Amino acid sequence: MDNSGLDLITGLKNEKTRELAFNSLVKKYQERLYWHIRKIVMDHDDADDVLQNTFIKVWRSVDKFREESSLYTWLYRIATNESLTFINSNKRRSLVPMNDTSEFLMNNLISDAHFEGDEIQKRLQEAILRLPEKQRIVFNLKYYEEMKYEDMSQVLDTSVGALKASFHHAAKKIEEYLKSRD
Amino acid sequence: MIELNKIAPELSKIKKENPFRVPENYFEDFSARLHERLEVEKTGVPKYKNKVIQFLKPAIGLAAGFALIFTLSYWPFRIFTPNEQAKNITAVNSESEMLFASWVEAIDENSFYAMLDNQNGSVYFTDDDLADFVNTNSSEYDIYSETGD
Repeated sequence: MDNSGLDLITGLKNEKTRELAFNSLVKKYQERLYWHIRKIVMDHDDADDVLQNTFIKVWRSVDKFREESSLYTWLYRIATNESLTFINSNKRRSLVPMNDTSEFLMNNLISDAHFEGDEIQKRLQEAILRLPEKQRIVFNLKYYEEMKYEDMSQVLDTSVGALKASFHHAAKKIEEYLKSRD
Repeated sequence: MIELNKIAPELSKIKKENPFRVPENYFEDFSARLHERLEVEKTGVPKYKNKVIQFLKPAIGLAAGFALIFTLSYWPFRIFTPNEQAKNITAVNSESEMLFASWVEAIDENSFYAMLDNQNGSVYFTDDDLADFVNTNSSEYDIYSETGD
């Protein structure tokens, strides 16, 4: 863990400096966490809600943070869990029966006013959305964020070997989808 | 990510860029909005309580509705049905009979004879009263054995 991470943790654990440290933490991680969440829930407004929920959870549970994991992986873990909780509760609330998560997320992608990718980017996103949930998260973390497997292992509580296999399968499936639509 | 070329050549041809955008000044304003929400969280009712109440509200409403309908329909029905009225009357009758029986049984023989001897007393028994008493307290066998002596 780098020094700034340690300073943040020290600041967060102290009641007098907690608020200041928390503001620094938000400034430092808001963008990275936003993009991680956005790629899971797809829609901007949903991503905004989930990001706020994530930081509120961090604020409430900062005392429970054990320094066995790094602050960065702890934050990603909370953000991932909040995103999945959001998707599942939305699926339950939806009046239209959804066959799977990808259908609901595909609707989010189609209706997203803040998607500015070209046709090939849209096809890539469609291919990613067709992946099973865990493979999709692994693929996004590796492909877009270039997260180390060791860190990902802490975020997703999965072995490095299983994550590598998961990424491999995801890439293969995306490749097949891209070829099939050519 | 050299291996990607081997396993997914089509994918590796695609330029790696973020196709999503955010509204203008989103990240600049985010921490202020988060701060506002945190203030509400600190002062207001805990969100999980609201959630529980919101979740249970329809169920509580339904339960209350059913309870009201049940009370308004079943209770008057129960009160005014002939069977129930008969039951009530029977209950009253058996209550008075029980009271009378306990009163009669409470009198021991000596007191009874003393009352008979007391001609000036305020208690007066008719022949029917005496017959009732004998019927209540003695079997036919007792009567025959007593009169046979």
